[in-house]
Amino acid sequence: MEAVTWLLFTIGIALILAKIGDAIIERFEFPGVLGELIMGMVLGNLVYFGLVSPHYLPIVSGQGFTTTATEISEFLAKLGIIFLLFLGALDTDIEKLKKTGLTATVSTVLGVFVPLVLGWFVLMKMGYPSREAFAGGVLLTATSIGLTVRVMMDLGVLKSEVGAASLSASVMDDFLGIALVIFAVGSGSLIELSAKIVLFFIITGVIWWYLVDYYIKFAEKLHVEKGVLGMALGMMFVFAALAEGWFAAAIEGAFMMGLVLSKLPEGKRLMDDVRAIGYGLLIPFFFVHTGAMLNLTVFKNANALVLAAVLTTIAVVGKVLGRGFGAWITAWGRGRDFLFTKENFWMSLQMGIGSIPRTEVALVDLMVAIHGGAIPPEDAPEFIAATLIFITVSVLITPPLLKWAFRREIEEARATKVARKVERIQETKEKIKELKGSQ
Amino acid sequence: MELENALETFHSMKVRSIMPRPETLPVVERDAEIINVLKLLRTRHHVWVVENRETMRLFGVIRYLDVIDVLLPPKSYKFKLGTTSRTMKSLLGGATRAEDMAEKNPLTIEQDATVLDALMKMRKYRVQVLAVVEDGRLVGEVSLRILIDELLRLLRVGGAQWKQ
Repeated sequence: MEAVTWLLFTIGIALILAKIGDAIIERFEFPGVLGELIMGMVLGNLVYFGLVSPHYLPIVSGQGFTTTATEISEFLAKLGIIFLLFLGALDTDIEKLKKTGLTATVSTVLGVFVPLVLGWFVLMKMGYPSREAFAGGVLLTATSIGLTVRVMMDLGVLKSEVGAASLSASVMDDFLGIALVIFAVGSGSLIELSAKIVLFFIITGVIWWYLVDYYIKFAEKLHVEKGVLGMALGMMFVFAALAEGWFAAAIEGAFMMGLVLSKLPEGKRLMDDVRAIGYGLLIPFFFVHTGAMLNLTVFKNANALVLAAVLTTIAVVGKVLGRGFGAWITAWGRGRDFLFTKENFWMSLQMGIGSIPRTEVALVDLMVAIHGGAIPPEDAPEFIAATLIFITVSVLITPPLLKWAFRREIEEARATKVARKVERIQETKEKIKELKGSQ
Repeated sequence: MELENALETFHSMKVRSIMPRPETLPVVERDAEIINVLKLLRTRHHVWVVENRETMRLFGVIRYLDVIDVLLPPKSYKFKLGTTSRTMKSLLGGATRAEDMAEKNPLTIEQDATVLDALMKMRKYRVQVLAVVEDGRLVGEVSLRILIDELLRLLRVGGAQWKQ
């Protein structure tokens, strides 16, 4: 009984701190998720450093702290991941995605595969087994476009060709980042796994794409409080169970159900309710729980720092190279003559730098890889530390790098503004002169 | 007409019989400038966005409350997974045309549905207006304002008399 009391208390404290942390970090114009992770880190380390008994703060699991209460909080965090992905998919505009241009497509594919392959290769060289190294590579794949959009908005360059392409590319690489994790956690031979994936996507994607309309109409006829929401969430959990059973990645099911529902107006209307459950409870709890998994004593071990340095370098360099080269090679659809121009180089570099930040999907992939066994428990603390470090570094360095990469456009915009002002002053002066002359 | 009888008649009325004529609907084409949408929203609570006026194929809807997302400065947005579509409605976020701020695939209802069906759907999804479509074409709308008008008319003159 007492365990339940302290679990409820922990959930309450975690949510309050998450929202406060989110608000503080947002004030500095960084993604609020960093604040939630930091708050989680503080809570977790109160336990790791023996300042609070794990019985009173059941937020960390593993590392000798697992109890029934911590298992429940871990499950709540898993629900947070499921809701995060469901919401992300529900918000996706598939029609827009279909119209993604060549530059965005090529740069996305290379922007995903270069860090993935580099990460995989370097981690194997460092002595990690292939499956674990691959999972490490997957962590580096998905960009979090939020920060880039905000900085580009502030700089007034979001409406540019690079801004539009960056947006499309980031939606696509979220897809790839989420899909690739299956290969890290899935078991069995490659053929068996591929067959399962194909079957899963046929059942959830193709069949449900046509059936979901009837399902929602049936749900509407039930005339019960939040009937449609309940039925939609119910099917989402069935999809998640199927994906968990087949490849230990429940997120794939939640993501597919979100995508399928996103085509219906009724599905889109569920977003407010799903957002309320997700961002009101489960998603902040997931971020706090993830932050709490970072045991700061891990830094006593040099391996964690080396891994963090390696992953951070690949995360930054791999993305800029991959996505930048992908954009450069397409010459932005302007033909061969444009290929070796300075403009192509700068636009591609801007595209590459815009893809550096990582947040939510990297954390989701990390947790899926840990829970799915791709990253073994003994290496989990190192990977958690390394991931949180490369996320923080990627978020901190992106704004100044983007400002540097777009400096020419910013100066041009500033000059145009000044010229317009001068023009307006000149016009006013002339009008005053005319008025004086007519008097 | 007594209130109970009036409501009974009201609930069984077909949407077809109370919806306004298509030419009176607030409609813009999907590539209309946002300024034109805002002008319409000064006097209307929503604007329908169609592919073009010839086909009247429904593309989306812009509701009064969507204007909040359009007008807010970029700093007020929280960029999180699952909230990006809202952000992209912002004028400073790159929205320039009606299609950029419209919610695609709006909720619809058939012409032969009853007022009760419309009310149930409105309550279920918490919306104030439904598009009336035929083969994907916008042919009318049913909004709370229209429903209130019809009920008041019904109470004053009675359903059958009013229809005549």
